[in-house]
Amino acid sequence: MQATLTIKLARVAIVIAIFALWELLSRTGIVNPRLLPSASDTLATLDDLLQRASVRNDLMVTATEVLAAFALAVPFGALIGFLIAENRYFADVAKPLLFFAFSIPKSIFLPMFILVFGVGFAQKVGFGFFSTIFIVIMSTTTAVESVKVEHLTVARSYGATRAQTAFRVYLPSMLPVLLEALRISMIFNLTGVILAEMYASRDGIGHQIATWGENFQMKQLLAGVVMVAAIAMTFNELIRWVETRCSHWRT
Amino acid sequence: MQPLANVTPLKPPPRAGAIEVRNVGQVFRTRSQDVVALEDVSLDIKPGRFVVLVGPSGCGKSTLLMMMAGLRAQTSGTITINGAPIPQPDPDRVGVVFQEPSLFPWLTAEDNVEFPLALRGVAKAERRAKAQDALKLVGLEGFGKRHPHELSGGMKQRVSIARGLVQDPPVLLMDEPFAALDEQTRMTMGDELLRIWAATGKTVVFVTHSLTEAVYLADEVIVMSPRPGRIVDHLQVSLPRPRTYEMLSGDAFGALRDRIWRHIRKSA
Repeated sequence: MQATLTIKLARVAIVIAIFALWELLSRTGIVNPRLLPSASDTLATLDDLLQRASVRNDLMVTATEVLAAFALAVPFGALIGFLIAENRYFADVAKPLLFFAFSIPKSIFLPMFILVFGVGFAQKVGFGFFSTIFIVIMSTTTAVESVKVEHLTVARSYGATRAQTAFRVYLPSMLPVLLEALRISMIFNLTGVILAEMYASRDGIGHQIATWGENFQMKQLLAGVVMVAAIAMTFNELIRWVETRCSHWRT
Repeated sequence: MQPLANVTPLKPPPRAGAIEVRNVGQVFRTRSQDVVALEDVSLDIKPGRFVVLVGPSGCGKSTLLMMMAGLRAQTSGTITINGAPIPQPDPDRVGVVFQEPSLFPWLTAEDNVEFPLALRGVAKAERRAKAQDALKLVGLEGFGKRHPHELSGGMKQRVSIARGLVQDPPVLLMDEPFAALDEQTRMTMGDELLRIWAATGKTVVFVTHSLTEAVYLADEVIVMSPRPGRIVDHLQVSLPRPRTYEMLSGDAFGALRDRIWRHIRKSA
């Protein structure tokens, strides 16, 4: 998908328009500035927050939890997904069950995670893992199914070993789908960890955002929202960039 | 006859590219019944011949080809290539060309052609040189850096043929390689294949649905019938080479095609 210059300009214009509207609503008093501090004030607060050691610490806590949950859920989920997809019988049995599990809102399990893990690192990582693993499993099965039988036959006819088939056929076939899975998994993962922080926590950026909200610190609250949104979008775009580089042949 | 000490009976070593099929049978077991896909198929293919297998769907012609490639085991009988059985794929003896979607879309044309060599750990420079030669042979010099999605259907099949030839095996097996191409491209590719065959002297076994294609390309046409799959006719095509488009409307050509058609109509 190659965006032309005018399309890119239109996108930038929309973002600018949203910030301008935000500024305008607040400055003119159409919306009470105590409820909606202006965009410029929010960004100034954001800058101020990022200088604070406590906020940086919260960001580090959240980042560690997110990465730990991600580092556990992705390989574990990918392995399960791979085993399911490779075994026809297992796939037939497990797939509908996975869809059932996937359809349940994960947030309703949060109190149980607190009961089991207490309030702390393990609870956040555990819930992040739980929020992420189903989508990883399902995406991996899709990725395995995207490997074409014809390609496997070609590899076999030229005497490929199992390892060669894995690295030269499975991996490149699956890579675009896997990268997409990675990107979507991170969205689920981040949502899970931040939700867990907002619900019950002593630190982390989610906890800070919840606290600012409860104390009616609207500037800080909005600055926190902008901060997390920016981090999430940056990660998303990064993987998308790798994705397009790895899957140019898919067109 | 006098038995001679120290002298083993002299059997001439089979020339590279000879294929022998002896009493081959194949039975697929399903839950409800056994399906006989091939029954007592015997066939001798001499080195350097261009042999075409034709027959209606389900006659087992592709199955037979996959057995010659070592990609599938027969239930009974033996298949030898260069005088030795082929229990698993052996790229030194056999190159295989499949239907259209068999190129790896993430590799360039030359990387696709190099694939069989890369599997065996051939050094990069040698690989590249051999791939260039193979691409040149199939008329794709200068297209090595393109990806499959940047090539036409005919060009993709040329790349597949180059991949099949890159290790210089004596036998080239082709499973309906032009079936997905349009009529004009198909004719051109037929001529191209005959040129490559004449230049390399390979034994070619070619599976197709098209009777015209069969007669146009072949030295010999093997006609098969379904349920159970067996050989019902073995025609020698004595039309002169090089084959030309004008021959298609000739009497000799028509007579051969009619003879094949009568077999197929009977079994369909």
